Amino acid sequence: MALNILVVDDSSVMRSIVIKTLKMTGLPLGEIWEGSNGAEGLRILQEQWIDLAIVDIHMPVMDGEEMINHLRENEQYQNLPVIVVSSESDPSKIEMMHRKGATFIHKPFKPETLKEVMIAVTGVSNEYTD
Amino acid sequence: MNTQIDCDVRAKIERTLYESSVSTFEDTCFMYLAPEMEEEQKELPLEAASEARYRGDWTGKLLIETRGGMLEAIASNILSLDEPSLQQKKDALGEIANIICGNVVISLGRHGRVSKIESPKFLSEEELQTEEDIGSCVAGITLNFFEGRADIKFYVDGYIAAKEQNSD
Repeated sequence: MALNILVVDDSSVMRSIVIKTLKMTGLPLGEIWEGSNGAEGLRILQEQWIDLAIVDIHMPVMDGEEMINHLRENEQYQNLPVIVVSSESDPSKIEMMHRKGATFIHKPFKPETLKEVMIAVTGVSNEYTD
Repeated sequence: MNTQIDCDVRAKIERTLYESSVSTFEDTCFMYLAPEMEEEQKELPLEAASEARYRGDWTGKLLIETRGGMLEAIASNILSLDEPSLQQKKDALGEIANIICGNVVISLGRHGRVSKIESPKFLSEEELQTEEDIGSCVAGITLNFFEGRADIKFYVDGYIAAKEQNSD
């Protein structure tokens, strides 16, 4: 199964870093969609089939925490795998993300780390590409 | 403002600054340290500078300066572009500053709760000099790459929590 992935970050550079790292994981990727804040991310989710959301925390308009709250309140997205990629240092905030079912990856991160987490949260396998 | 940081914390900050900077350049920019600094790299003029400010119990900033061909190399490697625009170069350097700052603030210890790291800002040479005169530089490192040199400094401007306690 190729994963359709939504990358939400207000920094276009950071979105590029995440997408480049995604391609280095060797996992089967489908479409990759980009949003610059939580509201844009939610809009894309309504229009596209997304298997995994990779989300920043600190963003204007709607931050990552609020976006995840909306996802978990909506039956359709309650179980959507979410990975939070951030330089957040506040342990309580990170713990709160975990409680909402999101997996936290601290920046900087290696492709291997992202791959491990993606496999864990989506169950995707890279058997096809090996 | 109180900017007193004990020796243990200062050493921890410097160690974290070095480790997180190296791993950021390796994992994000795919750039690796050169074994030793060439003589001409010691004299390279300033190419670009960026700052990432943090706010919380502590306030301060991280300054990153590049020399040689670092600015172009960082943007090219991150964005997979042969000729990144000036804005893309500025954004890429800012993102590096932001990532490293996010890692270093953790080492401020039990009083180091940080509520926000502000969007990075690209600095002119004059602005850099002004920023270097504000606050206390608690750690600084120089990283030498095949593409050039990066000097990274971590500043503490003040300890807000202590100030609030003193005013109670």
